[in-house]
Amino acid sequence: MTETSVIPRAGATRWTCPFCLLLCDTSTVQVDASGALTLSGTGCACASRALARFSAEPSTASPQVDGKDCTLDEAVAAAAKLLAASRQPLLGGLGTDVSGARALYRLACKTGAISDAAEGTALMATLRASQDRGAFFTTLAEVRTRADVIVCVGGTPVEQAPNFFERCGVGEALVAKRHVAVIGGSAADDAVLAGLATRPGVTVESIPLQGDLFATVATLSALVSGRAVREAPAALKALATRLQQARYAVFVGETRKLPAQGALIVESMNRTVGTLNMSTRAAAMWLGGGNGAGTVNQVFGWMSGLPLRSRAGPLGLEHEPMCFDAKRLLSDQAVDSLLWVSSFDPDVAPPETALPTIVLGHPDLASARASVFIPVSTPGIGSSGHLFRADGSVVLPLYAVYEDTLPTLASVVDRILEKV
Amino acid sequence: MSSLRLRGGRVIDPTNGSSADVRDVGVRDGRIVALAPQEPVDEEVDASGCVVMAGGIDMHTHIGGGKVNLSRLLLPEMQRNGANPYALPDNLLELASCNGCTPGTLATGYRYVEMGYTAAFEPAMMPSNARHTHMEMGDIPVLDHGAYVMLGNDELFLQMLAEKQDFERIRDYMAWTIRASKAMGVKVVNPAGISAFKFNQRKLDVDENHVHWQVTPRQVVHTLARALRELGVPHPLHIHGSNLGVAGNIQSTLDTIDALEGLPAHLTHVQFHAYGTEGAKKFSSAALQLAEAVNANPNISIDVGQIMFGQTVTASGDSMRQHAQSGLASPRKWVGADIECDAGCGVVPFRYREQSYVNALQWAIGLEIFLLVKDPWRVALTTDHPNGGPFTSYPHLIRLLMDKSFRNEQLAQIHPDVAANSALGSITRELSLHEIAIMTRAGPARLLGLTDRGHLGVGAAADIAVYRENADREAMFSTPEHVYKDGTLVARAGRVMAVPTGGTHFVEPEYDRGIETYLRKHMASHGSVNFDSAAISHDELCSCCNGGRLLPAACFETTP
Repeated sequence: MTETSVIPRAGATRWTCPFCLLLCDTSTVQVDASGALTLSGTGCACASRALARFSAEPSTASPQVDGKDCTLDEAVAAAAKLLAASRQPLLGGLGTDVSGARALYRLACKTGAISDAAEGTALMATLRASQDRGAFFTTLAEVRTRADVIVCVGGTPVEQAPNFFERCGVGEALVAKRHVAVIGGSAADDAVLAGLATRPGVTVESIPLQGDLFATVATLSALVSGRAVREAPAALKALATRLQQARYAVFVGETRKLPAQGALIVESMNRTVGTLNMSTRAAAMWLGGGNGAGTVNQVFGWMSGLPLRSRAGPLGLEHEPMCFDAKRLLSDQAVDSLLWVSSFDPDVAPPETALPTIVLGHPDLASARASVFIPVSTPGIGSSGHLFRADGSVVLPLYAVYEDTLPTLASVVDRILEKV
Repeated sequence: MSSLRLRGGRVIDPTNGSSADVRDVGVRDGRIVALAPQEPVDEEVDASGCVVMAGGIDMHTHIGGGKVNLSRLLLPEMQRNGANPYALPDNLLELASCNGCTPGTLATGYRYVEMGYTAAFEPAMMPSNARHTHMEMGDIPVLDHGAYVMLGNDELFLQMLAEKQDFERIRDYMAWTIRASKAMGVKVVNPAGISAFKFNQRKLDVDENHVHWQVTPRQVVHTLARALRELGVPHPLHIHGSNLGVAGNIQSTLDTIDALEGLPAHLTHVQFHAYGTEGAKKFSSAALQLAEAVNANPNISIDVGQIMFGQTVTASGDSMRQHAQSGLASPRKWVGADIECDAGCGVVPFRYREQSYVNALQWAIGLEIFLLVKDPWRVALTTDHPNGGPFTSYPHLIRLLMDKSFRNEQLAQIHPDVAANSALGSITRELSLHEIAIMTRAGPARLLGLTDRGHLGVGAAADIAVYRENADREAMFSTPEHVYKDGTLVARAGRVMAVPTGGTHFVEPEYDRGIETYLRKHMASHGSVNFDSAAISHDELCSCCNGGRLLPAACFETTP
């Protein structure tokens, strides 16, 4: 990579991409005569794939009750009736932006619903590790400006965040020498590393697992804290030394990729960061909460005081990071209705369940099995909005590419709320 | 809109010089008006036996934004009422929201309003986190709000200072940041220290160089204070000084005052910055030295950051000091962050204990400062919520300040060495209602440049708290009889009666737009956000804040 310059915007369109963890905001979206949306500027597989699911035509998607087209009023009334009859609703998916989340919290309070995101387990992995032992995290601009060692734990995040290494400035002159290591990566990750190695000042290394990821990070953690580890692999020893000598080391992990009990890996890496921070500087960057989940977690957090997997139940405000797992609640039949929200990605469909289900989401979710379906606008495509970036501190505005004529999630939820 | 007469209350309105006159207060269409004695009104409220003041204004309280929400997400055990969850509200106007030491934004609004407060200011908004901060404040019902944007640890400011760029360019950059983030003022936290920590520096005295940029906190403080003065921003530089919590840090605080060279500034949570090194434990009160400096320097105002015994969480932008103190975390965990080359944060849960020598002394130091600084107009009543204690402890704090015998009873219960040796026991001053009104509303309004808040003069906003007279000042200030926000009854005897959306206070200083080219280039080469998305427009602020009113404050005229 050469020195970055400002990428010019075609026309007046400003765009923030809501489809990956990084909310890239230097590309624009072009609309061709057929209404197809194409990306111009920095290419991105994630954005292109997502854009293919939209067309800049006024939407013809109709609300449905029991699979039959109906008016919005009828669908809202049916949804409200269903929620009113429910003793323990579940708000799932939670693919929306800040204003949608604000409305969903009001609905959760009114109905006593439990709320959990589509990737709630991944979201809880980092949250629970921090709740237990704390954490030290960093953000993209910091990594770009100062990280001389970047360690990707369990693979690179390029599938969910294609331009991750560009956003981290890998190969830019800001940090003359950077080392990128991947622990337990795949062949695809090795190919990514090979690409990075051609950039100026960048060295790379792929470190195989020692046993599983748990054992590997435990060994690294022990080595970094100076404990004697018998038969420690040379690559991990060298990495530990490199970390101790780094000016600013960053561990990067994707929460979605973590195995079961992945919070233990997060905790181990967070502890390693803590150890390093006694003598040099280090930080972690756990990437997750895509598709709006991280945003809804923040909003529920500030309105209620508690993260997701909470409810305003009969006893009061309860947070149960294990018990309030949507999957578990559904399989235990501990809930009796499901309201599923997925405004960004039509592939994030509601789980198979026999429970009465309301789906509020992308028009293509009409095919999902649901008692009530209401198509809603996608923030960043058909309407404006706000999302949190995955590193947790930056909120960016989303701009409408075209008017999709669909109602926003917030307006639909508020209408349901009036009738529950 | 409607009219209202509060009849026969004892009106305490320091801004307008009243010394507790018994009189009526008239309200029409959300504003204070002069009503003729027999003029008919829509509602008349008997305020006899009550004290009538303007609504309270908390000028330094961590109520919204990244570090506050981190505290909530990471400490769910503190969002419980003992072993039980917080019960759901029995008031249909309220939504469920936890009342812990970092309450949900909804509970924050409800609890402040029930105490007679009508405005609160978040003191530590990072530019990169500004939208988030405004969103949280927009979800605080009833209260008007605003925030001070953090500068002085952002790499760009330090770089410009290090490169000795023209002062005017630095000033333009500051003005752009204030406007872009829709801030009410500027706060500096551990000047240059948060950045220095990113370069692995662990300590930074006022005249010590930042290890990378080779600039000193003295330069940072002076430059920021001067620029704000020249920009005409009503609230002067809000300073969280160097070496927070360190024994002997009174020297840093005095050096910081010296660095200002007479420029106006507000030193925040000074209790945490007024420590000496005397005595067997090498930790002593420097409250007297601090108070003398404040008394001698009329350019300085302060808020205290009183500590209250019990569990709380310290949420600060000062990652350098929070890292250093993280070993004291209780429970034993903490969260820190380096953020966007803007600043950082550190969230350290903490329990202040009566029987800890250090904590007991901190408690005494805070009270000493309140009682030793002569001019109440330059002292704001705060606990640096939640860092010294939750804002809900204000009524208790007011009683400590107004009631010497109560104060001495409490003093007798804390660590015996402090109880025996503290100067606090010999201070006889008891603050008057007039002085409390200054420290909790009139003073903060003046320090922020809010000309139509914090008082009950004709034309002022009808933000009013009506307290039933009670010799127990804690009880009196806990539950006012009536609280009005812009003329609407929002609380009655501790019960929320209406939940209007509050407004956002901010300032918009002028600057030379030429700086934007430079900033655009810098953000492209060093940042992570497109310059075109960096600034918050009026419309966007309105949507972030739930449609609340925009309340731009006027900058004062400056002489070049």
